[in-house]
Amino acid sequence: MPYDVIIDRLPIFALFDLKGRREDLAKWAPSLPDFPGKPNTMTRTEKTALFFIGPDRWLLRAEIELEDALVRALRPSEAPADISIVTVSDTMTFFRITGPDAGAVVSIGCPLDTHPDTFGPDAVTYSEFFGLRSLILRCDGGFDCAVEQSFGDMVADHLTRAIA
Amino acid sequence: MPGDRMTSGGRIDRSQPVNFTFNGRSYQGFAGDTLASALLANGVRLTARSFKYHRPRGIIGSGVEEPATLVELMGENASGNRPATTVPLAEGLQARSVNCWPSPAFDLGAINQVIGRFIPAGFYYKTFKWPGWHLYEPSIRKAAGLAAAPSKPPATGHFENRFAHCDVLIAGAGPAGLMAALVAGRAGLRVMIADEGVEAGGSLLNRTLTIAGNPAMDWVDRVTAELATMDNVTHLQNATVWAYREHNYLMVNERAPEYPDILERNWRVRAGHVICATGAIERALVFGNNDRPGVMLASAAQAYINRYGVRPGRRAVVFTNNNSAYSVAADLAQTGIEVAAIIDSRDTVPDAARAMVSGIEILPGHVVTTTQGGRHIRSVEVAPNGGGAIRRIACDLLAMSGGWNPAVHLWSQSRGTLRYDNALTSFVPDHAAQAAISVGAANGELTLAQALQSGADAGAAAADQTAPVAPEATDLAYAIEPLWRVEQTKGKAFLDIQNDVTVDDVHLALREGYDNVEHVKRYTTGGMGIDQGKTGNINIIGTVAMQQGAPLEEIGTTTFRSPYTPVSFGSVVGSREDSVALPYRHTPITGWNKANGAFMYESGARWRRPGYFPREGESFQDTVNRECRAVRNGVGVYDGSPLGTFELKGRDVGRFLDHIYTNIMSTLKPGHARYGLMLSDDGLILDDGVALRLSEHRWIISTSTGHADAINSHMEELLQTRFPDWNVFVTTVTSQWNNATICGPKAREVMAALGTDIDISPKALPFMGFADGTVAGVPARVVRVSFTGELSFEVNVAPRHLAALWDRILAAGAPFGIEPIGSEANHVLRVEKGFLSLGHEVDGTVDPFDLGLGWAMSKKKPDYLGKHAVALRRSGTENRRELVGLVPEPDTMIPEGAPLTPDGARKPTEGLVTACVFSTVLDRWVGLALLENGHARHDETVHARLKDRTIPARVTAPIHYDPEGERLRS
Repeated sequence: MPYDVIIDRLPIFALFDLKGRREDLAKWAPSLPDFPGKPNTMTRTEKTALFFIGPDRWLLRAEIELEDALVRALRPSEAPADISIVTVSDTMTFFRITGPDAGAVVSIGCPLDTHPDTFGPDAVTYSEFFGLRSLILRCDGGFDCAVEQSFGDMVADHLTRAIA
Repeated sequence: MPGDRMTSGGRIDRSQPVNFTFNGRSYQGFAGDTLASALLANGVRLTARSFKYHRPRGIIGSGVEEPATLVELMGENASGNRPATTVPLAEGLQARSVNCWPSPAFDLGAINQVIGRFIPAGFYYKTFKWPGWHLYEPSIRKAAGLAAAPSKPPATGHFENRFAHCDVLIAGAGPAGLMAALVAGRAGLRVMIADEGVEAGGSLLNRTLTIAGNPAMDWVDRVTAELATMDNVTHLQNATVWAYREHNYLMVNERAPEYPDILERNWRVRAGHVICATGAIERALVFGNNDRPGVMLASAAQAYINRYGVRPGRRAVVFTNNNSAYSVAADLAQTGIEVAAIIDSRDTVPDAARAMVSGIEILPGHVVTTTQGGRHIRSVEVAPNGGGAIRRIACDLLAMSGGWNPAVHLWSQSRGTLRYDNALTSFVPDHAAQAAISVGAANGELTLAQALQSGADAGAAAADQTAPVAPEATDLAYAIEPLWRVEQTKGKAFLDIQNDVTVDDVHLALREGYDNVEHVKRYTTGGMGIDQGKTGNINIIGTVAMQQGAPLEEIGTTTFRSPYTPVSFGSVVGSREDSVALPYRHTPITGWNKANGAFMYESGARWRRPGYFPREGESFQDTVNRECRAVRNGVGVYDGSPLGTFELKGRDVGRFLDHIYTNIMSTLKPGHARYGLMLSDDGLILDDGVALRLSEHRWIISTSTGHADAINSHMEELLQTRFPDWNVFVTTVTSQWNNATICGPKAREVMAALGTDIDISPKALPFMGFADGTVAGVPARVVRVSFTGELSFEVNVAPRHLAALWDRILAAGAPFGIEPIGSEANHVLRVEKGFLSLGHEVDGTVDPFDLGLGWAMSKKKPDYLGKHAVALRRSGTENRRELVGLVPEPDTMIPEGAPLTPDGARKPTEGLVTACVFSTVLDRWVGLALLENGHARHDETVHARLKDRTIPARVTAPIHYDPEGERLRS
């Protein structure tokens, strides 16, 4: 294997798609982490991370064990019309690429500039990964790259070939 | 001819011999050789035959400009049409000449030289017309072709694509490029420098210049060593910047990446600034028989001496129109080659040039008119420029220099403009179109001192700093007088050696009216091919200018296109081959499907789905019939996960759905579902699906699998452009809700056996109803919709639960004979019911009335998408193609797509068969068709016209089975 990386296909996370003004969302769900101030950045708490991924659009990520508790806290089916909260835990497959060559391997599939100067530790954004719409963010020692769940096998196939 | 490897000198490693074969004969070279230098060192001068006339050819250049010696590499790393000058010598290399048989020395194709006068440029446009071009095409292609593409992929390794970003991309690691990289790198910029050569240094590798009083290559070594210490610099050798696209997006083909498993890597680079330090290319001179083996670019002769330690001849004549050849003559003499004379077309030779070659005869104002020799040059004929006494000079090497062309290819690809420089007699960069600059020889700055300083300036400018003073360097100033062709030639004078294009060919093109240089190119093929006319294009332009009496700037250049040099397809494609050549999508039970023998294929939106589940000994039709019987008589289950699914939220969802569907959705009560049609702006059917109202402001809508992404974009576009103030949020949940659909008369029994807390009685959960609860202990939403026409329960669950649910369904359904069914059976069942299918009945031409769905067109809503377009279209008098059923008589299959013509005659079609299936419940073939005025033609007989027969069919209503829908509502 030419590249010094570790690639893990992660178990699913608890994911919630949040839409609406941050004030309205925060008012409905005070337990949400602080909202990131800048687009394409994230805030983290010990167990959750909140991604600012588009105009009035956010993604909350947590370990899957917290899904039920978050559903109870966020009450998606009861939320007012001004906001949208949708459980999307199963919609994305995350690949964690870590190691000294993580950036090189990510750059095989992703056109994003992942240099630390431009893609810092709190960066998160939609981009492409092997031609697919993908959420890219930094993790300890590398990157998380998430694609629509049904493409998971194909991306695993791609990554296997890339590091063969 | 004996080889002439020098005992010392050059950058080859004499301690590492390398064995190779060429045209079946074994030779030996050294590490650091190219195939070309090794062949010269072994005395191989006749290396190729020309493209059209099969004339003997030798090695002319020393790099990517090589027009003559193309080789086919064989064995594991097979590759076709590689210039021998760019093939690094490797142990076991096997190469052979292209376009000759049986060998370059004895080539049967050489007969073309005899008939050459009958096959001028464009001859094939005028001949071979009768009875048809295709009769002649194979033999002409065989006679003129080069090497074939390899028939097998490389035995090991793979190609790679990689994206990269930098502040500065520098194309070329010659003196200007290295200087720019050093300055920009020291300034802390993210620098990528890519160079096509195996070693950095560019022209310095081939010459004996000094920088700051030391050998120039010492400076190169110091600079590359410093660059290697900079984390902010990526330095690639053997890597060609081959394309320059919009927004400073460039392609770099790296041929020997750091990992042996990676055959080649194609970098896709976004650069803040681009510095084109691509050097210059020496051009050939045009005179009689200027293609004979032993005629070589002067710079190439210098490279073989200084870089590879090879004497390319014993007795040389130098022919030039500029100063640069004088250093070549000096180097030739220095290494023991007898320089018989320097033929300079200029009347006056600068003193500084003369001073370099004391003792060598110079003939100013003279030209070479022709060469003599068979398979190798023996002598040249020299005459005063303009005519006079001819003198023959014996030689085995003619080193020619027609001047230097800045390599403006990348610059021009970037849409930077060019201007003609009269002093340099060449086109040079003018105005930039992107954040790019040309430096050094690529910018017409042809001395070493100019190159170093322009590189320093560009590197500093990118960093917004003051440029340092470049180290001192001296060489002979460049001076030239143009010589586009020798007028008093004898024999063919080639402008484009690779394509065998002569001066006469260009004159012919002009006589025939092809007076634009782009037309000349296409008529003669001059400037095409592997080398893209690197040594000859300017001479073609000059020849056109001379003939038309116009200055070169009026003639202009042909378009420079990528790739700059050939790039292997593998490098372009990268790792996207075999199983990942096209995207594919799986559901959580794809593995189960494969393990249970499903025949898988793509069925829209890249989903891999089971077509059918064959059993031992079954034919395709047997399998489909069995699966259909299971659904019609018992129970079946299929994976409906790929169906597009969206959650819509907001106060305005109701009116938004009223806008995009043809029927009214806003009146739907929470807990209910409704079928709907979507139209495009032009009133044609876009999609169909079901809307579920979960609560006052929450909805779920489903779309067809193949159109899910398009419908998502369609909704977003409407919301962002036409209704930006509407309170509607759209979230894609296709992969949050997978489903297993249990269908058939025993479906309810299977649901009961699974265990559910949902009341699934017909009254509590009727057709088009839905309910949330648990099924088999899994949280689920059960929806009563049907695509098969049978009682159906669509059990929607999170994908994490689907595989377990699937197993439970099969176990619970086993006593009822449940069968998994694939797309083929689904297709049959929907045809029996006359349900429309996008891509079959919905073919981009029909509206709801055509399909008998006029009931879905609301008359109450004042407006919705496509309403007026439908009305407008239907106000015409044209007969519409309308959906009908077909019953073939006799009972046989009609191929899908078969045209329906009046009486089956060869007349304009009146419709087409959209589907035809074998119905197990009717025990016969039935079909659907779009037929002109079809709704009024039930019970008529129409005819499907096939290639060899016609098939009559009775027109019926499009519903062949259970027309009242009692079964699906049961």
